[in-house]
Amino acid sequence: MKILVALKRVADPANHNKVKIPASGDRIDTAGLEWQINPFDLYALETALRLTENGKNPKKREGEVVVLTIGPKETETNLRSALATGADRAIRIEAVDEELDGRLVAHALAKIVEEEKPDVVMMGKQVVDSETNMVGQVLAELLDWPMATFAATIQEQPDGLLVEREVDGGVAKVKVTLPAVVTVDLRIVSPTSVRSKHTEAGFKYPYEEVRFAPLPAIMQAKKKPLAIKNLSELTPDLKSTTRYVKYEAPPGRKAGIKVKDVQELVQKLATEAKVI
Amino acid sequence: MVDTSVSFMRSLCMGVIEEQIVLPFPRVQDEQRETLRTVIESIRQLLGSKETDFAAWDRAGEMPKEFIEQLKEFGLFGLIVPEEYGGLGFKSTAYSRTLQEVAKYDASVAVTIGAHSSIGMRGLVLFGTDEQKQRFLPRLATGEMIAAFCLTEPGAGSDAAAIKTRAEKDGDDWVLTGNKLWITNGGIADFFTVFARTGDESGKVHMTAFIVTRDMEGVSVGPHEHKMGLRASSTTTLHLDSVRVPEQNVLGPLNKGFKVAMQILNNGRTGLGGGAIGGMKRLIEMSTQYANQRQTFGKPISEYGSIKLKVGQMVVNCYATEAVVDMVAMLIDQGYEEYAVEAAISKVFASEALWQAADEALQIAGGNGYMCEYPYERILRDARINRIFEGTNEILRLFIALTAMNDVGSQLQELSSTVKGIFDDPIKGFGVMRQYAMKHATLVTGYPRAKSRFTLVDPLLREHAAVFEDATRHLAAAVDRILRKHGRNIIGKQLASRRLANIMIDLFVLACVLSRVNSSLAERGAEGAQRELDILKVFANQVQRRVRHAFSLIDINDDELIKGVADYAFEQERFVWDNI
Repeated sequence: MKILVALKRVADPANHNKVKIPASGDRIDTAGLEWQINPFDLYALETALRLTENGKNPKKREGEVVVLTIGPKETETNLRSALATGADRAIRIEAVDEELDGRLVAHALAKIVEEEKPDVVMMGKQVVDSETNMVGQVLAELLDWPMATFAATIQEQPDGLLVEREVDGGVAKVKVTLPAVVTVDLRIVSPTSVRSKHTEAGFKYPYEEVRFAPLPAIMQAKKKPLAIKNLSELTPDLKSTTRYVKYEAPPGRKAGIKVKDVQELVQKLATEAKVI
Repeated sequence: MVDTSVSFMRSLCMGVIEEQIVLPFPRVQDEQRETLRTVIESIRQLLGSKETDFAAWDRAGEMPKEFIEQLKEFGLFGLIVPEEYGGLGFKSTAYSRTLQEVAKYDASVAVTIGAHSSIGMRGLVLFGTDEQKQRFLPRLATGEMIAAFCLTEPGAGSDAAAIKTRAEKDGDDWVLTGNKLWITNGGIADFFTVFARTGDESGKVHMTAFIVTRDMEGVSVGPHEHKMGLRASSTTTLHLDSVRVPEQNVLGPLNKGFKVAMQILNNGRTGLGGGAIGGMKRLIEMSTQYANQRQTFGKPISEYGSIKLKVGQMVVNCYATEAVVDMVAMLIDQGYEEYAVEAAISKVFASEALWQAADEALQIAGGNGYMCEYPYERILRDARINRIFEGTNEILRLFIALTAMNDVGSQLQELSSTVKGIFDDPIKGFGVMRQYAMKHATLVTGYPRAKSRFTLVDPLLREHAAVFEDATRHLAAAVDRILRKHGRNIIGKQLASRRLANIMIDLFVLACVLSRVNSSLAERGAEGAQRELDILKVFANQVQRRVRHAFSLIDINDDELIKGVADYAFEQERFVWDNI
C-alpha cells in the first residue's frame, strides 16, 4: 500500500503562552515560537507506518510512506524527523504560511496526488493552530474519492479499509474502497487500533503513542530523498480566499469563588450559573 | 589560514591575544543543527517520561538491564563511532550537545554513555589501528560491547604514574596483573582500556595502554559500588590476574601510555562539560518554575531579590559554561592540536558552575529541596563527582598554571640564548634564565605587543574587551613575576599556581562569552541580543573583580600563615580549642 501523509508544522502547543499578537492585531507574531508537527498529523504518520508493516519488525516496510508538507525551508527539519521515524521519502512544497488556506492546501495536495497516485492520503483530523478541519474533506471532494474522517481504528481488508469513526454520541463504522482520504483522531494510536493485512492476530503495539526515531535512523534519514516543489507551479491560478480581519487573544479566565457549603453551591449553580 | 598548533591560553600567558582562534564564535552547520534538533526531540521522547524510574533506580542503586538494552537499541552507544564502523560519527560538538540532552533527564544515564564514549573507547577511536577498529568499533557502536576506562588504582588516582598494574612481555603476549578501582561501567563493560606499567627507566615510569576484553582469562570485576551519586550507573573494581593480552591489543605507542591517557581525557572533556550544561538547564527550569509558584508573605518568591540573585547567577554561569564548552568542542572539531589547557579550564568551570547551581536550586526550594520526594538532592549528589573524576579540579588547576609557566619559562630560555654575547657565563637551565633572561625580558617588556587587543569584536563590546586586554597584560606580568619569585620551586607552590589558574580560567571563559555575545550581536542586533549583553556585562564585571583580587594577592597574602595553621592541625590531628 502506498500512503501519502500530509504534515503541517504548528507552534508547539505546550508553549502556547509564547504566542504573541501585536497591538495592531493584523497578524500573529511568530518570532521565538518553537515548531513541531501537528500532533494529529503525527498520529496519521504513525497510522501509515503501522499500515505498512507487520508490527513485529517495524524496520521492514510493506509498501511506501511518503510524507509531505507545505512551508518554508525550516520545515525540512520536520520532514527529516518524519523520515527518521520510518517514512521512505519526503516532499516539501515551498510556500509561506500566510499565503495558505485550507482550500488552497487541498488543491495543492490534489496535484501531488495526481503525480504520486497513492492508495491512501492520510492526515490529522485537524491542525491545532487554525483548527479549520477542512483539508481532508475538500481534498476528497476534489479527487472524488471516498473519505473517512475522525478515524479511531482502521482495519485493512482485501477490498479497502474498515474504519471506525469518532462521532458525537458514539462510533460510526464505515468501509472505504481505495483510493481514499482518511483523517485520524487521537485513539488511532492505541496499541491495537490499526491492523494491516500483515499484522498477526493478537499483536499489540507496546506503546500508546507515536514512535520516535532511534539515533541511527536519524542519520540514515539524511540520505532519504526529499523533493522540493513550488506552490505557484502546482496551483498557478489559485490564491487563498480566506481573509483574516483581526487577531485577538481570548479573554483571560476570571478568578473563581469559594462557596462555604453545598447549599450555597447548589444555589449559585441555579441562580448564577443557571445550569441546574 | 589559522595555525592550528597555537593555543589561545598558552599564548595569552605571554601577553598575546590570538583572537582569530576564538572569534567569530564557531557555529554549528545548518545540516548538523537540523540533525541535532531531531536527536534532541527523540531523546526527549525516550527519557522524558521516565522521571519516576530514574528516582527509583537511584534508590535501588542500579538501572535495569532492559533499560540498558533500550539505550543500545536507541543508538546512544554509537555516538562517536565513525559512520563507516556503524556509528553516528559525531564530532565533539554534536557529542557534547547530545550528552547535554541526556543529562537533562538523568546524570546516571549520561555517565553510562559518557564513560563509554568520552573515555572508555576514545583511545581506540584516537589511537587504534585499522585492524583494532575493525575488530571492536562495530560492536561498540551498537552497544553489544560497552567500554570502560581503567587508569585509577587503589594507590594511584591523580598520581597516575604510581600505578602498580604491570604488563610483562611473554613471547608474543603481554601478561597483565593488577587491580583497578572505581571503574565506571565496570559491571556492564566488555571492553576495557587498561593502563599498565611496561617498564622503568632511570626512575621514570613507562606506561602503556592495552585493550582488554572481558572474555580473557583472568579478568574479573568486583561488586557494584554504593556511591553518593550516579547511583544507577555501574561502578566496580577490575581485577587482572595474569591476563594474557596479545601484542595486537597494545593501544597507541608502547611506553606512551601517559600521553595516551591525557589525550583521551582532554579529548573527552566536552562530554562532561555537556553533561554539566544539561544539568544546569534543568535546574534553571526547576528553580524558575518553583519560584514562580511558591508564595511567601503573599508574593511568589521569584519577586524577591535574594532569589533573583541566585537564578540570575545560574543563568549567567550556564551561558558562560555553554560558551566555553562549545568553544573547546569546536576547537577540537576544527583540528586544533593544543587545547589541553582550554579543555581543562572548561572542565573546572563547568563542574563548579553545576555544583553551585545544584546547591542554589536546592536552597531556593528550601525544605522541599532537602526532601527525597523532590529531585534536588539527587541532582546535587549526582553533580558532586564532576569536580573529582576525569582529573580532580585541584590537579587540573595545577596543570593549567604550570603549563603556562612552562611555556613562559622556555620562551625566556630562548630569549636568553639570543643575548649570549652580553653575558660571559654560558646560560643554561632554569636558574640562570631566571636571573638574567628574566631581567632582560622585562626590560624590553619581553612580549610582542602586536596582538594585545581584540580587533574583531563589535564596538559595543569594547569596554568588556578592554577588561580582558587589561587583565591579559597583568597576567603576562604576573606569570613573569611568579616565575621570578619562585623559579622552578613553583612546582611546590600550589597556592601561587592555584591563583594563577583561577585568573586563567576566568579569562578564557570571559573570552568565550565575549565571542558568543559578539556573534549573537552580529546575528540579532543590539536589541535582539540585549539580555546576552547584560549577561556579558555581569560576567565581565565579576571576572574583573575576581581577577583584580587575585592579582593583588600574588605578592602579599596569607599563604604561609594559613598553611601553618593547617600544619598545626595535621600535627594534632584534631581541633584543639574548646570553650568549656
